[in-house]
Amino acid sequence: MKKIILLMVIISLSGQSYGLTQKIEVLGMVCAFCAQGIEKNFRATDNVDDVFVSLENYFVAIESKDGLDNKFIKEVINDAGYDVQKIEIFPITVNQIRIENE
Amino acid sequence: MLRTKTVKYMNKFNLIFVFLLVAYHPVIHAAPMSFKGSTTSMSQVSKDYFSIESSYASSIEDSFGAKAIRAKGNGYKTKLGEIFYLRKLMRINAAKSQTNLWLFTGVGFIDIKKNNTKEHHIYLSPTIQFDYETKRIYGMISHQILRAGHENFDTTKIEGGFSFYEAGYTQIQPWFILKTKNINNLNNEIKYTPTLRLINKSIFIDAGVSMDGDPVFHFMYTF
Repeated sequence: MKKIILLMVIISLSGQSYGLTQKIEVLGMVCAFCAQGIEKNFRATDNVDDVFVSLENYFVAIESKDGLDNKFIKEVINDAGYDVQKIEIFPITVNQIRIENE
Repeated sequence: MLRTKTVKYMNKFNLIFVFLLVAYHPVIHAAPMSFKGSTTSMSQVSKDYFSIESSYASSIEDSFGAKAIRAKGNGYKTKLGEIFYLRKLMRINAAKSQTNLWLFTGVGFIDIKKNNTKEHHIYLSPTIQFDYETKRIYGMISHQILRAGHENFDTTKIEGGFSFYEAGYTQIQPWFILKTKNINNLNNEIKYTPTLRLINKSIFIDAGVSMDGDPVFHFMYTF
C-alpha cells in the first residue's frame, strides 16, 4: 500500500506518466547469452516499454502499461530455461533501476 | 583491371558473408541449446578439425539439428554428416549457478580413409554432457560413443575455467578456459588447449593454441 501511495506521489510531483515496473528475480541467470532470450521475448511483448537485465543482481525489470500477468512472466522465463524466484512491483521506472545498477 | 578488382572484392565479401553465416550463434555459454524457438549455429576450426552445425530448439528441452565434421590425425582422414536430437535431461537453476545434463543422439554417415583403404559406414552415436557454471567459473565434461565398422572414434572432452572478473549484461567478460579433448584413433594423446574467451551480449570470441601448436578459433555473433 505504501509503495502504491509513493508511486502516486512521484507521478503527481513530476507530471510525467509512468507504466508499471515489475522486478523478477531469476534463478540460474549467469551469463549475458543466457539472458538475451529473456530480454528478446519480453521486448517483443505488447505493451512492454522497457526491459533491464541485471546479471550482477540476478534480476530482470520490466516496465509495461498495465503490468504483465505473473503466469505469463513465469512462462517466458521458463521458456528461456530459467526459473522465477520472486516477482515484485516496483514504484520506480526501469530507467531509474538501470541508473541505480549501472 | 576494374573487373578483376570487383571480382576480388566480391570474393572477399562472399567469404565474410559465409563466415558471419557460420558464426551466427545465439548461444548460451555452457549449454549447447538456447531458448525455445531459437536457432543455434556453431563452427569450430583448427588445423586437424573442422565442424559446422545448426540446430533448432522446439522447446526448452528438445532441439533438432544437423552437423558436418572433417577431422584427421594418426593417418586417418574422416568426413561425417549427421542429424541429431538433443534432449536436456536435467537442469538445476540455483540462485547463482546452473547445472545441466544433456543427451545427444546422432545418426549419420562417415567416410574413413586410412593409407589406401576407404570405408563408408552409417552410425548411431550417443553423447552425454554434464556442465556447471556460475558467473566466475565454468566446467564441462562430455563423452561421445562413435563406432563405425571396426573403428572407434569415441570422443572425450573436459573443459574448465574462470572469468577474470564479473561483468554486467552489456560488458565484455574475459574467461580463461582449459580445454582437453581426445578422439580415439585420431589422437595419440590428450590434446590440451588453453583458450581465451571474450563474451558480451552479442559477440563471442574464443581463441586458443593447443600445447602441440594447433590454433583453434571461434567467432560468434548474435543477431
